[in-house]
Amino acid sequence: MALFNLKKLLSRKDTVRLLDELTESLSTNVCIVSASGVVLYGNCNGYPPVLPDHPDHPGLPDFANMAGFPIIADGQAVGWVHGDDRKANAIVSVVNHMVKTEMEKKALATETLDKYNELTMLYDFVEKVNTFNVKEIANFLIKQVLVQIRADNASIMLENETTGLLETIAASGTYFDPMMPLKPGTGIAGSVMLAGKAEIINDCLSDPRYIVGRNKISSLICAPIKAKEKTIGVVNASTIKPNNYTADDLKFFSTLVTQAAFAIDNARLYENLKKAFIKTVNTLAETIEKRDPYTGGHTKRVMNYSVAIAEELGIGDKDRERLELASILHDIGKIGVSDKVLLKTSKLTDEEFDEIKKHPVYGEEILSYIENLDDIIPGIKSHHERFDGKGYPEGLRGDEIDLIARIIAVADSFDAMTSDRPYRKGLSFDVALGELRKCSGTQFDSKVVDAFFEAHKNHKIKLENDKQ
Amino acid sequence: MPTILIVDDEQHIRLLIEQTLEELEDDGVEILTADNGAEALEIIKEARPELVFLDVMMPKMNGFDVCNTVKNDLGMKSIYIILLTAKGQEFDKEKGRECGSDLYITKPFSPKELRNKAKEILGLQ
Repeated sequence: MALFNLKKLLSRKDTVRLLDELTESLSTNVCIVSASGVVLYGNCNGYPPVLPDHPDHPGLPDFANMAGFPIIADGQAVGWVHGDDRKANAIVSVVNHMVKTEMEKKALATETLDKYNELTMLYDFVEKVNTFNVKEIANFLIKQVLVQIRADNASIMLENETTGLLETIAASGTYFDPMMPLKPGTGIAGSVMLAGKAEIINDCLSDPRYIVGRNKISSLICAPIKAKEKTIGVVNASTIKPNNYTADDLKFFSTLVTQAAFAIDNARLYENLKKAFIKTVNTLAETIEKRDPYTGGHTKRVMNYSVAIAEELGIGDKDRERLELASILHDIGKIGVSDKVLLKTSKLTDEEFDEIKKHPVYGEEILSYIENLDDIIPGIKSHHERFDGKGYPEGLRGDEIDLIARIIAVADSFDAMTSDRPYRKGLSFDVALGELRKCSGTQFDSKVVDAFFEAHKNHKIKLENDKQ
Repeated sequence: MPTILIVDDEQHIRLLIEQTLEELEDDGVEILTADNGAEALEIIKEARPELVFLDVMMPKMNGFDVCNTVKNDLGMKSIYIILLTAKGQEFDKEKGRECGSDLYITKPFSPKELRNKAKEILGLQ
Protein backbone atom coordinates (compact mmCIF):
# COMPACT_ATOMS: atom_id res chain seq x y z
CA MET A 1 0.00 0.00 0.00
CA ALA A 2 1.18 3.49 -0.77
CA LEU A 3 2.45 5.63 2.05
CA PHE A 4 -0.30 7.38 3.93
CA ASN A 5 -1.12 10.75 2.38
CA LEU A 6 -0.77 13.02 5.41
CA LYS A 7 -0.78 16.07 3.21
CA LYS A 8 -4.24 15.28 1.94
CA LEU A 9 -5.62 14.77 5.40
CA LEU A 10 -4.11 18.01 6.67
CA SER A 11 -5.30 20.04 3.71
CA ARG A 12 -8.92 19.11 4.30
CA LYS A 13 -10.99 21.98 5.59
CA ASP A 14 -12.57 20.05 8.45
CA THR A 15 -9.16 18.83 9.64
CA VAL A 16 -7.72 22.34 9.56
CA ARG A 17 -10.74 23.70 11.42
CA LEU A 18 -10.41 21.01 14.09
CA LEU A 19 -6.70 21.67 14.58
CA ASP A 20 -7.28 25.44 14.69
CA GLU A 21 -9.92 25.02 17.39
CA LEU A 22 -7.80 22.59 19.35
CA THR A 23 -4.72 24.78 19.39
CA GLU A 24 -6.79 27.82 20.23
CA SER A 25 -8.56 26.19 23.15
CA LEU A 26 -5.25 24.82 24.42
CA SER A 27 -3.71 28.26 23.85
CA THR A 28 -0.73 26.80 22.10
CA ASN A 29 0.96 26.68 18.73
CA VAL A 30 1.96 23.51 17.02
CA CYS A 31 3.51 22.81 13.69
CA ILE A 32 3.19 19.61 11.73
CA VAL A 33 5.81 18.47 9.23
CA SER A 34 5.81 15.52 6.89
CA ALA A 35 8.41 12.76 7.19
CA SER A 36 10.38 14.47 4.45
CA GLY A 37 10.34 17.76 6.32
CA VAL A 38 7.64 19.71 4.46
CA VAL A 39 5.55 21.94 6.71
CA LEU A 40 1.93 20.84 6.44
CA TYR A 41 0.30 22.80 9.23
CA GLY A 42 1.18 25.75 11.45
CA ASN A 43 4.31 27.77 11.69
CA CYS A 44 7.49 25.82 12.21
CA ASN A 45 9.87 28.66 12.95
CA GLY A 46 12.19 27.52 15.69
CA TYR A 47 11.50 23.81 15.26
CA PRO A 48 13.77 21.45 13.46
CA PRO A 49 11.76 20.27 10.44
CA VAL A 50 13.38 16.85 10.71
CA LEU A 51 15.52 15.26 13.35
CA PRO A 52 19.24 15.66 12.94
CA ASP A 53 21.24 12.51 12.27
CA HIS A 54 22.43 10.44 15.18
CA PRO A 55 26.08 11.40 15.83
CA ASP A 56 27.23 7.76 15.83
CA HIS A 57 24.85 6.44 13.16
CA PRO A 58 24.64 8.76 10.18
CA GLY A 59 21.36 8.27 8.29
CA LEU A 60 19.41 7.37 11.43
CA PRO A 61 17.46 10.02 13.30
CA ASP A 62 18.77 11.06 16.67
CA PHE A 63 15.78 10.30 18.87
CA ALA A 64 17.52 11.70 21.91
CA ASN A 65 17.27 15.00 20.14
CA MET A 66 13.64 14.53 19.28
CA ALA A 67 11.68 17.65 19.65
CA GLY A 68 8.45 16.39 18.14
CA PHE A 69 5.92 13.61 18.40
CA PRO A 70 5.59 11.07 15.62
CA ILE A 71 2.45 10.63 13.55
CA ILE A 72 2.29 6.91 12.88
CA ALA A 73 0.68 5.13 9.95
CA ASP A 74 1.21 1.43 9.47
CA GLY A 75 4.05 1.41 12.01
CA GLN A 76 5.92 4.14 10.19
CA ALA A 77 6.38 7.78 11.10
CA VAL A 78 4.74 9.77 8.32
CA GLY A 79 5.17 13.13 10.06
CA TRP A 80 5.94 15.00 13.26
CA VAL A 81 4.08 17.34 15.54
CA HIS A 82 6.29 19.97 17.13
CA GLY A 83 5.29 22.21 19.97
CA ASP A 84 4.93 22.51 23.70
CA ASP A 85 5.45 18.98 24.98
CA ARG A 86 2.26 18.23 26.84
CA LYS A 87 -0.08 20.01 24.51
CA ALA A 88 1.62 18.74 21.36
CA ASN A 89 1.29 15.26 22.79
CA ALA A 90 -2.48 15.70 23.07
CA ILE A 91 -2.67 17.00 19.54
CA VAL A 92 -0.65 14.15 18.09
CA SER A 93 -3.07 11.73 19.73
CA VAL A 94 -5.93 13.38 17.90
CA VAL A 95 -4.02 13.39 14.61
CA ASN A 96 -3.07 9.75 15.05
CA HIS A 97 -6.66 8.87 15.67
CA MET A 98 -7.69 10.64 12.48
CA VAL A 99 -4.94 8.85 10.57
CA LYS A 100 -6.15 5.52 11.86
CA THR A 101 -9.76 6.20 10.90
CA GLU A 102 -8.65 7.45 7.52
CA MET A 103 -6.61 4.32 6.91
CA GLU A 104 -9.48 2.07 7.85
CA LYS A 105 -11.70 3.95 5.47
CA LYS A 106 -9.08 3.58 2.79
CA ALA A 107 -8.77 -0.17 3.33
CA LEU A 108 -12.51 -0.49 3.12
CA ALA A 109 -12.61 1.58 -0.05
CA THR A 110 -9.89 -0.56 -1.63
CA GLU A 111 -11.80 -3.69 -0.81
CA THR A 112 -15.04 -2.22 -2.10
CA LEU A 113 -13.33 -1.25 -5.32
CA ASP A 114 -12.02 -4.79 -5.75
CA LYS A 115 -15.50 -6.17 -5.29
CA TYR A 116 -16.87 -3.58 -7.63
CA ASN A 117 -14.36 -4.59 -10.25
CA GLU A 118 -15.58 -8.16 -9.96
CA LEU A 119 -19.14 -7.03 -10.22
CA THR A 120 -18.61 -5.00 -13.38
CA MET A 121 -16.62 -7.89 -14.81
CA LEU A 122 -19.56 -10.21 -14.22
CA TYR A 123 -21.99 -7.74 -15.73
CA ASP A 124 -19.76 -7.51 -18.75
CA PHE A 125 -19.40 -11.27 -18.92
CA VAL A 126 -23.13 -11.94 -18.84
CA GLU A 127 -23.69 -9.30 -21.48
CA LYS A 128 -21.06 -10.60 -23.86
CA VAL A 129 -21.65 -14.28 -23.47
CA ASN A 130 -24.88 -14.17 -25.45
CA THR A 131 -23.67 -16.54 -28.12
CA PHE A 132 -24.81 -20.06 -28.85
CA ASN A 133 -21.36 -21.27 -29.74
CA VAL A 134 -19.72 -23.39 -27.03
CA LYS A 135 -16.20 -22.73 -28.32
CA GLU A 136 -16.73 -18.98 -28.31
CA ILE A 137 -18.06 -19.06 -24.76
CA ALA A 138 -15.15 -21.22 -23.66
CA ASN A 139 -12.59 -18.92 -25.22
CA PHE A 140 -14.22 -15.88 -23.69
CA LEU A 141 -14.23 -17.53 -20.27
CA ILE A 142 -10.55 -18.36 -20.58
CA LYS A 143 -9.70 -14.81 -21.52
CA GLN A 144 -11.56 -13.55 -18.47
CA VAL A 145 -9.97 -16.09 -16.14
CA LEU A 146 -6.48 -15.08 -17.26
CA VAL A 147 -7.28 -11.40 -16.76
CA GLN A 148 -9.05 -11.72 -13.44
CA ILE A 149 -7.21 -14.49 -11.63
CA ARG A 150 -3.48 -14.84 -11.23
CA ALA A 151 -2.90 -17.70 -13.64
CA ASP A 152 -0.47 -18.70 -16.36
CA ASN A 153 -2.71 -21.37 -17.82
CA ALA A 154 -6.41 -21.89 -18.08
CA SER A 155 -8.38 -24.67 -19.68
CA ILE A 156 -11.94 -25.84 -20.03
CA MET A 157 -12.81 -29.51 -20.12
CA LEU A 158 -16.23 -30.84 -21.04
CA GLU A 159 -17.59 -34.32 -20.75
CA ASN A 160 -17.98 -35.87 -24.17
CA GLU A 161 -21.60 -36.96 -24.22
CA THR A 162 -20.81 -40.09 -26.20
CA THR A 163 -17.57 -41.36 -24.66
CA GLY A 164 -18.04 -39.97 -21.16
CA LEU A 165 -14.45 -38.72 -21.17
CA LEU A 166 -13.37 -35.25 -20.13
CA GLU A 167 -12.01 -33.44 -23.16
CA THR A 168 -10.21 -30.12 -23.29
CA ILE A 169 -12.22 -27.90 -25.58
CA ALA A 170 -10.35 -24.65 -25.06
CA ALA A 171 -7.12 -23.72 -23.37
CA SER A 172 -4.59 -21.01 -23.18
CA GLY A 173 -1.28 -20.41 -21.53
CA THR A 174 2.41 -20.27 -22.18
CA TYR A 175 3.08 -23.88 -21.46
CA PHE A 176 -0.18 -25.33 -22.56
CA ASP A 177 0.02 -28.63 -24.29
CA PRO A 178 -3.28 -30.28 -25.26
CA MET A 179 -4.23 -32.81 -22.67
CA MET A 180 -5.38 -36.34 -23.25
CA PRO A 181 -9.04 -37.00 -22.53
CA LEU A 182 -9.47 -37.86 -18.86
CA LYS A 183 -11.71 -40.43 -17.28
CA PRO A 184 -13.90 -38.86 -14.60
CA GLY A 185 -12.19 -39.76 -11.34
CA THR A 186 -8.62 -39.62 -12.65
CA GLY A 187 -6.38 -36.66 -12.05
CA ILE A 188 -7.38 -33.60 -10.10
CA ALA A 189 -9.75 -32.38 -12.80
CA GLY A 190 -11.39 -35.80 -13.00
CA SER A 191 -11.81 -35.90 -9.25
CA VAL A 192 -13.37 -32.42 -9.13
CA MET A 193 -15.65 -33.54 -11.94
CA LEU A 194 -16.87 -36.50 -9.91
CA ALA A 195 -17.17 -34.64 -6.61
CA GLY A 196 -18.76 -31.58 -8.23
CA LYS A 197 -16.97 -29.34 -5.78
CA ALA A 198 -14.42 -26.61 -6.54
CA GLU A 199 -10.93 -26.99 -5.09
CA ILE A 200 -7.73 -25.08 -4.54
CA ILE A 201 -4.53 -27.09 -4.71
CA ASN A 202 -1.64 -24.76 -3.98
CA ASP A 203 0.92 -27.53 -4.01
CA CYS A 204 0.03 -29.91 -6.84
CA LEU A 205 3.23 -31.95 -6.59
CA SER A 206 2.29 -33.22 -3.17
CA ASP A 207 -1.26 -34.13 -4.25
CA PRO A 208 -1.46 -37.86 -5.02
CA ARG A 209 -4.13 -37.23 -7.66
CA TYR A 210 -1.87 -34.96 -9.68
CA ILE A 211 -0.82 -36.57 -12.94
CA VAL A 212 2.61 -35.24 -13.82
CA GLY A 213 2.54 -34.36 -17.46
CA ARG A 214 4.63 -32.24 -19.71
CA ASN A 215 3.00 -29.13 -18.31
CA LYS A 216 4.60 -28.46 -15.01
CA ILE A 217 2.21 -26.61 -12.79
CA SER A 218 2.54 -25.74 -9.13
CA SER A 219 -0.77 -24.30 -8.03
CA LEU A 220 -4.20 -25.03 -9.37
CA ILE A 221 -7.72 -23.84 -8.92
CA CYS A 222 -10.37 -26.09 -10.41
CA ALA A 223 -14.15 -25.64 -10.46
CA PRO A 224 -16.94 -27.81 -11.84
CA ILE A 225 -19.22 -26.60 -14.62
CA LYS A 226 -22.69 -27.43 -13.40
CA ALA A 227 -25.79 -27.40 -15.50
CA LYS A 228 -29.04 -28.25 -13.81
CA GLU A 229 -27.37 -30.05 -10.90
CA LYS A 230 -25.31 -32.16 -13.24
CA THR A 231 -21.58 -31.60 -13.61
CA ILE A 232 -20.75 -31.37 -17.31
CA GLY A 233 -17.12 -30.37 -17.08
CA VAL A 234 -14.45 -28.41 -15.21
CA VAL A 235 -12.47 -25.21 -15.57
CA ASN A 236 -8.80 -25.11 -14.52
CA ALA A 237 -6.56 -22.15 -13.79
CA SER A 238 -2.99 -22.77 -12.79
CA THR A 239 0.37 -21.15 -12.22
CA ILE A 240 3.79 -22.48 -13.15
CA LYS A 241 5.43 -21.09 -10.04
CA PRO A 242 3.89 -21.80 -6.62
CA ASN A 243 1.04 -19.46 -5.87
CA ASN A 244 -1.22 -18.98 -2.94
CA TYR A 245 -4.77 -19.09 -4.19
CA THR A 246 -7.19 -17.85 -1.57
CA ALA A 247 -10.79 -18.62 -0.70
CA ASP A 248 -11.65 -15.26 -2.29
CA ASP A 249 -10.07 -16.35 -5.57
CA LEU A 250 -12.05 -19.57 -5.46
CA LYS A 251 -15.30 -17.79 -4.79
CA PHE A 252 -14.81 -15.37 -7.62
CA PHE A 253 -13.60 -18.08 -9.97
CA SER A 254 -16.66 -20.20 -9.17
CA THR A 255 -19.01 -17.30 -9.80
CA LEU A 256 -17.45 -16.79 -13.19
CA VAL A 257 -17.69 -20.48 -14.00
CA THR A 258 -21.35 -20.59 -12.91
CA GLN A 259 -22.18 -17.80 -15.33
CA ALA A 260 -20.36 -19.58 -18.11
CA ALA A 261 -22.07 -22.87 -17.22
CA PHE A 262 -25.50 -21.46 -18.00
CA ALA A 263 -24.26 -20.18 -21.31
CA ILE A 264 -22.50 -23.43 -22.19
CA ASP A 265 -25.55 -25.49 -21.29
CA ASN A 266 -27.80 -23.31 -23.43
CA ALA A 267 -25.38 -23.44 -26.31
CA ARG A 268 -25.20 -27.22 -26.11
CA LEU A 269 -28.97 -27.50 -26.16
CA TYR A 270 -29.08 -25.16 -29.10
CA GLU A 271 -26.42 -27.09 -30.97
CA ASN A 272 -28.22 -30.38 -30.38
CA LEU A 273 -31.43 -28.83 -31.58
CA LYS A 274 -29.70 -27.56 -34.66
CA LYS A 275 -28.20 -30.96 -35.38
CA ALA A 276 -31.62 -32.56 -35.06
CA PHE A 277 -33.05 -29.92 -37.34
CA ILE A 278 -30.42 -30.45 -40.03
CA LYS A 279 -30.99 -34.18 -39.78
CA THR A 280 -34.71 -33.67 -40.30
CA VAL A 281 -34.10 -31.41 -43.25
CA ASN A 282 -31.71 -33.95 -44.74
CA THR A 283 -34.27 -36.70 -44.34
CA LEU A 284 -36.84 -34.54 -46.04
CA ALA A 285 -34.51 -33.87 -48.95
CA GLU A 286 -33.63 -37.54 -49.29
CA THR A 287 -37.27 -38.53 -49.32
CA ILE A 288 -37.84 -36.25 -52.26
CA GLU A 289 -34.78 -37.57 -54.00
CA LYS A 290 -36.04 -41.12 -53.72
CA ARG A 291 -38.74 -40.28 -56.23
CA ASP A 292 -36.11 -39.90 -58.88
CA PRO A 293 -33.64 -42.77 -58.58
CA TYR A 294 -31.38 -41.32 -61.24
CA THR A 295 -30.50 -38.29 -59.18
CA GLY A 296 -29.48 -40.28 -56.11
CA GLY A 297 -26.98 -38.41 -53.95
CA HIS A 298 -27.46 -35.19 -55.93
CA THR A 299 -28.44 -33.13 -52.88
CA LYS A 300 -25.44 -34.21 -50.88
CA ARG A 301 -23.04 -33.50 -53.69
CA VAL A 302 -24.52 -30.08 -54.36
CA MET A 303 -24.11 -29.28 -50.70
CA ASN A 304 -20.50 -30.44 -50.68
CA TYR A 305 -19.63 -28.42 -53.79
CA SER A 306 -21.46 -25.39 -52.42
CA VAL A 307 -19.63 -25.51 -49.12
CA ALA A 308 -16.30 -25.93 -50.92
CA ILE A 309 -17.04 -22.83 -53.01
CA ALA A 310 -18.13 -20.91 -49.93
CA GLU A 311 -14.89 -21.73 -48.16
CA GLU A 312 -12.91 -20.22 -51.03
CA LEU A 313 -15.12 -17.16 -51.05
CA GLY A 314 -14.67 -16.82 -47.30
CA ILE A 315 -18.31 -16.12 -46.49
CA GLY A 316 -19.40 -15.58 -42.88
CA ASP A 317 -20.78 -18.20 -40.49
CA LYS A 318 -24.33 -16.97 -40.85
CA ASP A 319 -24.25 -17.15 -44.66
CA ARG A 320 -22.58 -20.52 -44.47
CA GLU A 321 -25.41 -21.88 -42.37
CA ARG A 322 -27.89 -20.43 -44.83
CA LEU A 323 -26.00 -22.00 -47.71
CA GLU A 324 -25.91 -25.44 -46.10
CA LEU A 325 -29.66 -25.51 -45.56
CA ALA A 326 -30.52 -23.96 -48.91
CA SER A 327 -28.29 -26.37 -50.82
CA ILE A 328 -29.89 -29.33 -49.07
CA LEU A 329 -33.36 -28.02 -49.81
CA HIS A 330 -32.79 -26.41 -53.20
CA ASP A 331 -34.92 -28.93 -55.08
CA ILE A 332 -37.63 -29.36 -52.45
CA GLY A 333 -40.13 -27.74 -54.82
CA LYS A 334 -39.86 -30.78 -57.08
CA ILE A 335 -42.34 -32.41 -54.76
CA GLY A 336 -44.93 -30.31 -56.57
CA VAL A 337 -43.92 -31.55 -60.01
CA SER A 338 -45.87 -34.56 -61.26
CA ASP A 339 -44.12 -37.94 -61.64
CA LYS A 340 -45.07 -38.00 -65.28
CA VAL A 341 -42.89 -34.99 -65.95
CA LEU A 342 -40.26 -35.47 -63.32
CA LEU A 343 -39.48 -39.07 -64.21
CA LYS A 344 -39.86 -38.76 -67.95
CA THR A 345 -36.80 -40.16 -69.70
CA SER A 346 -37.45 -38.82 -73.18
CA LYS A 347 -37.26 -35.21 -74.31
CA LEU A 348 -39.62 -32.85 -72.49
CA THR A 349 -42.19 -30.78 -74.34
CA ASP A 350 -42.25 -27.02 -73.80
CA GLU A 351 -45.23 -27.38 -71.49
CA GLU A 352 -43.55 -30.10 -69.48
CA PHE A 353 -40.44 -28.02 -69.21
CA ASP A 354 -42.54 -25.09 -67.99
CA GLU A 355 -43.85 -27.33 -65.24
CA ILE A 356 -40.35 -28.31 -64.19
CA LYS A 357 -39.42 -24.65 -64.16
CA LYS A 358 -41.96 -24.06 -61.43
CA HIS A 359 -40.04 -26.00 -58.81
CA PRO A 360 -38.08 -23.02 -57.41
CA VAL A 361 -41.36 -21.18 -56.79
CA TYR A 362 -42.94 -24.29 -55.27
CA GLY A 363 -39.90 -24.47 -53.01
CA GLU A 364 -40.46 -20.91 -51.91
CA GLU A 365 -44.10 -21.67 -51.14
CA ILE A 366 -43.33 -24.75 -49.09
CA LEU A 367 -40.64 -23.04 -47.03
CA SER A 368 -42.71 -19.96 -46.42
CA TYR A 369 -44.76 -22.07 -44.02
CA ILE A 370 -41.74 -22.83 -41.87
CA GLU A 371 -40.77 -20.20 -39.38
CA ASN A 372 -37.15 -19.08 -39.26
CA LEU A 373 -36.40 -20.37 -42.73
CA ASP A 374 -37.28 -17.14 -44.56
CA ASP A 375 -33.64 -16.29 -44.99
CA ILE A 376 -32.88 -19.36 -47.05
CA ILE A 377 -35.78 -18.80 -49.47
CA PRO A 378 -33.82 -16.57 -51.89
CA GLY A 379 -31.18 -19.29 -52.18
CA ILE A 380 -33.83 -21.78 -53.24
CA LYS A 381 -36.07 -19.58 -55.32
CA SER A 382 -33.22 -18.15 -57.37
CA HIS A 383 -30.96 -21.13 -57.95
CA HIS A 384 -32.00 -21.28 -61.61
CA GLU A 385 -31.49 -17.59 -62.24
CA ARG A 386 -28.65 -16.75 -64.61
CA PHE A 387 -26.06 -14.05 -64.01
CA ASP A 388 -26.97 -12.45 -67.36
CA GLY A 389 -30.65 -12.26 -66.46
CA LYS A 390 -31.84 -15.04 -68.77
CA GLY A 391 -32.76 -17.50 -66.05
CA TYR A 392 -36.01 -18.25 -64.21
CA PRO A 393 -38.36 -17.70 -62.41
CA GLU A 394 -37.86 -13.93 -62.16
CA GLY A 395 -35.09 -13.16 -64.64
CA LEU A 396 -32.96 -11.51 -61.96
CA ARG A 397 -29.43 -10.54 -62.95
CA GLY A 398 -26.02 -10.04 -61.34
CA ASP A 399 -26.07 -9.01 -57.70
CA GLU A 400 -29.86 -9.06 -57.66
CA ILE A 401 -29.49 -12.81 -57.28
CA ASP A 402 -28.73 -13.87 -53.73
CA LEU A 403 -25.10 -15.02 -53.42
CA ILE A 404 -26.29 -18.30 -51.95
CA ALA A 405 -28.32 -18.95 -55.10
CA ARG A 406 -25.39 -18.02 -57.35
CA ILE A 407 -23.25 -20.58 -55.52
CA ILE A 408 -25.90 -23.31 -55.68
CA ALA A 409 -26.38 -22.61 -59.39
CA VAL A 410 -22.76 -23.52 -60.12
CA ALA A 411 -22.74 -26.54 -57.80
CA ASP A 412 -26.10 -27.78 -59.15
CA SER A 413 -25.10 -27.42 -62.81
CA PHE A 414 -21.77 -29.08 -62.28
CA ASP A 415 -23.40 -32.09 -60.67
CA ALA A 416 -26.10 -32.26 -63.34
CA MET A 417 -23.45 -32.24 -66.05
CA THR A 418 -21.32 -34.95 -64.48
CA SER A 419 -24.19 -37.26 -63.49
CA ASP A 420 -25.47 -40.03 -65.71
CA ARG A 421 -29.07 -39.75 -66.86
CA PRO A 422 -31.19 -42.49 -68.45
CA TYR A 423 -31.04 -40.69 -71.76
CA ARG A 424 -27.38 -39.64 -71.64
CA LYS A 425 -24.10 -40.36 -69.99
CA GLY A 426 -22.58 -37.74 -67.71
CA LEU A 427 -19.79 -35.50 -68.96
CA SER A 428 -16.26 -36.12 -67.84
CA PHE A 429 -14.86 -33.97 -65.09
CA ASP A 430 -12.62 -31.92 -67.37
CA VAL A 431 -15.31 -31.33 -69.96
CA ALA A 432 -17.69 -30.17 -67.24
CA LEU A 433 -15.03 -27.83 -65.88
CA GLY A 434 -14.61 -26.43 -69.38
CA GLU A 435 -18.36 -25.84 -69.61
CA LEU A 436 -18.33 -23.92 -66.33
CA ARG A 437 -15.49 -21.76 -67.59
CA LYS A 438 -17.31 -21.17 -70.87
CA CYS A 439 -20.46 -20.00 -69.11
CA SER A 440 -18.62 -17.92 -66.53
CA GLY A 441 -19.89 -14.36 -66.64
CA THR A 442 -22.98 -15.25 -68.66
CA GLN A 443 -24.86 -18.07 -66.95
CA PHE A 444 -22.70 -18.01 -63.81
CA ASP A 445 -21.14 -15.39 -61.61
CA SER A 446 -17.45 -15.51 -62.62
CA LYS A 447 -16.44 -14.88 -59.00
CA VAL A 448 -18.22 -18.09 -57.99
CA VAL A 449 -16.78 -20.07 -60.90
CA ASP A 450 -13.29 -18.87 -59.96
CA ALA A 451 -13.92 -20.05 -56.41
CA PHE A 452 -15.02 -23.45 -57.75
CA PHE A 453 -11.78 -23.79 -59.71
CA GLU A 454 -9.83 -22.67 -56.67
CA ALA A 455 -11.62 -25.30 -54.56
CA HIS A 456 -10.82 -27.88 -57.24
CA LYS A 457 -7.15 -26.86 -57.14
CA ASN A 458 -7.25 -27.36 -53.37
CA HIS A 459 -8.70 -30.87 -53.81
CA LYS A 460 -12.02 -29.97 -52.28
CA ILE A 461 -14.07 -31.01 -55.32
CA LYS A 462 -14.23 -34.74 -55.81
CA LEU A 463 -16.42 -36.92 -57.95
CA GLU A 464 -17.72 -40.10 -56.40
CA ASN A 465 -17.23 -42.26 -59.45
CA ASP A 466 -14.15 -42.61 -61.59
CA LYS A 467 -14.86 -39.81 -64.03
CA GLN A 468 -11.92 -37.88 -62.71
CA MET B 1 -4.20 22.34 -9.86
CA PRO B 2 -6.91 20.42 -11.74
CA THR B 3 -9.92 19.58 -9.63
CA ILE B 4 -12.51 16.83 -9.87
CA LEU B 5 -15.81 16.90 -8.03
CA ILE B 6 -17.75 13.74 -7.26
CA VAL B 7 -21.44 14.20 -6.48
CA ASP B 8 -23.52 11.27 -5.28
CA ASP B 9 -25.91 10.85 -2.38
CA GLU B 10 -24.65 7.33 -1.82
CA GLN B 11 -21.51 7.28 0.25
CA HIS B 12 -20.18 4.04 -1.16
CA ILE B 13 -20.33 5.36 -4.70
CA ARG B 14 -18.45 8.51 -3.69
CA LEU B 15 -15.86 6.41 -1.95
CA LEU B 16 -15.61 4.08 -4.90
CA ILE B 17 -15.04 6.83 -7.44
CA GLU B 18 -12.62 8.58 -5.12
CA GLN B 19 -10.66 5.35 -4.74
CA THR B 20 -10.79 4.75 -8.48
CA LEU B 21 -9.31 8.17 -9.16
CA GLU B 22 -6.79 8.04 -6.33
CA GLU B 23 -3.77 7.63 -8.55
CA LEU B 24 -4.59 10.91 -10.26
CA GLU B 25 -3.69 12.65 -7.02
CA ASP B 26 -0.10 11.75 -7.75
CA ASP B 27 -0.40 14.00 -10.78
CA GLY B 28 -1.56 16.81 -8.55
CA VAL B 29 -5.28 16.41 -9.11
CA GLU B 30 -7.49 17.48 -6.22
CA ILE B 31 -10.59 15.40 -5.57
CA LEU B 32 -13.60 16.93 -3.85
CA THR B 33 -16.89 15.30 -2.95
CA ALA B 34 -20.44 16.41 -2.29
CA ASP B 35 -23.44 14.38 -1.21
CA ASN B 36 -26.20 16.60 -2.56
CA GLY B 37 -26.96 19.00 -5.38
CA ALA B 38 -26.92 22.20 -3.31
CA GLU B 39 -23.53 21.43 -1.81
CA ALA B 40 -22.26 20.50 -5.28
CA LEU B 41 -23.26 23.94 -6.60
CA GLU B 42 -21.49 25.69 -3.72
CA ILE B 43 -18.30 23.78 -4.42
CA ILE B 44 -18.54 24.28 -8.17
CA LYS B 45 -18.89 28.03 -7.76
CA GLU B 46 -15.99 28.22 -5.36
CA ALA B 47 -13.53 25.62 -6.64
CA ARG B 48 -14.42 25.64 -10.34
CA PRO B 49 -13.55 22.00 -10.99
CA GLU B 50 -12.55 20.89 -14.48
CA LEU B 51 -14.59 17.72 -14.24
CA VAL B 52 -17.74 16.75 -12.35
CA PHE B 53 -19.12 13.26 -11.88
CA LEU B 54 -22.77 13.91 -11.20
CA ASP B 55 -25.32 11.37 -10.07
CA VAL B 56 -28.70 11.87 -11.72
CA MET B 57 -30.96 10.31 -9.11
CA MET B 58 -30.57 12.42 -5.98
CA PRO B 59 -33.26 13.65 -3.59
CA LYS B 60 -34.29 17.32 -3.73
CA MET B 61 -32.00 18.66 -6.45
CA ASN B 62 -31.28 16.01 -9.03
CA GLY B 63 -28.35 15.78 -11.41
CA PHE B 64 -30.21 17.33 -14.35
CA ASP B 65 -31.02 20.41 -12.25
CA VAL B 66 -27.45 20.80 -11.04
CA CYS B 67 -26.14 20.36 -14.58
CA ASN B 68 -28.65 22.86 -15.94
CA THR B 69 -27.73 25.47 -13.33
CA VAL B 70 -24.01 25.08 -13.95
CA LYS B 71 -24.08 25.00 -17.73
CA ASN B 72 -26.98 27.31 -18.51
CA ASP B 73 -27.68 29.61 -15.54
CA LEU B 74 -24.10 30.08 -14.42
CA GLY B 75 -22.75 29.75 -17.95
CA MET B 76 -19.86 27.57 -16.79
CA LYS B 77 -19.81 25.64 -20.02
CA SER B 78 -16.18 24.62 -19.87
CA ILE B 79 -16.80 22.37 -16.86
CA TYR B 80 -16.98 18.81 -18.17
CA ILE B 81 -20.01 17.12 -16.66
CA ILE B 82 -20.41 13.35 -16.67
CA LEU B 83 -23.84 12.17 -15.54
CA LEU B 84 -24.00 8.90 -13.64
CA THR B 85 -27.11 6.84 -14.21
CA ALA B 86 -28.14 3.48 -12.89
CA LYS B 87 -28.30 0.64 -15.34
CA GLY B 88 -31.79 -0.63 -15.94
CA GLN B 89 -33.28 2.76 -15.30
CA GLU B 90 -34.34 4.46 -18.47
CA PHE B 91 -31.95 7.34 -18.99
CA ASP B 92 -33.63 10.38 -20.44
CA LYS B 93 -31.13 11.25 -23.15
CA GLU B 94 -33.21 14.25 -24.16
CA LYS B 95 -32.90 15.74 -20.67
CA GLY B 96 -29.21 14.91 -20.63
CA ARG B 97 -28.74 16.86 -23.84
CA GLU B 98 -30.95 19.77 -22.75
CA CYS B 99 -29.04 20.36 -19.54
CA GLY B 100 -25.82 20.46 -21.54
CA SER B 101 -24.05 17.46 -20.02
CA ASP B 102 -21.02 16.17 -21.90
CA LEU B 103 -21.31 12.44 -21.30
CA TYR B 104 -23.22 9.88 -19.32
CA ILE B 105 -21.94 6.70 -17.74
CA THR B 106 -24.11 3.88 -16.43
CA LYS B 107 -23.56 2.27 -13.05
CA PRO B 108 -22.09 -0.23 -12.49
CA PHE B 109 -19.28 1.48 -14.34
CA SER B 110 -15.93 -0.02 -15.17
CA PRO B 111 -13.43 1.63 -12.80
CA LYS B 112 -10.69 1.38 -15.39
CA GLU B 113 -12.75 3.12 -18.06
CA LEU B 114 -13.80 5.80 -15.64
CA ARG B 115 -10.20 6.49 -14.68
CA ASN B 116 -9.06 6.60 -18.30
CA LYS B 117 -11.89 8.95 -19.19
CA ALA B 118 -10.95 11.30 -16.35
CA LYS B 119 -7.30 11.25 -17.41
CA GLU B 120 -8.28 11.96 -20.98
CA ILE B 121 -10.48 14.91 -20.03
CA LEU B 122 -7.81 16.41 -17.78
CA GLY B 123 -5.15 15.79 -20.41
CA LEU B 124 -3.09 13.48 -18.19
CA GLN B 125 -2.56 10.67 -20.68
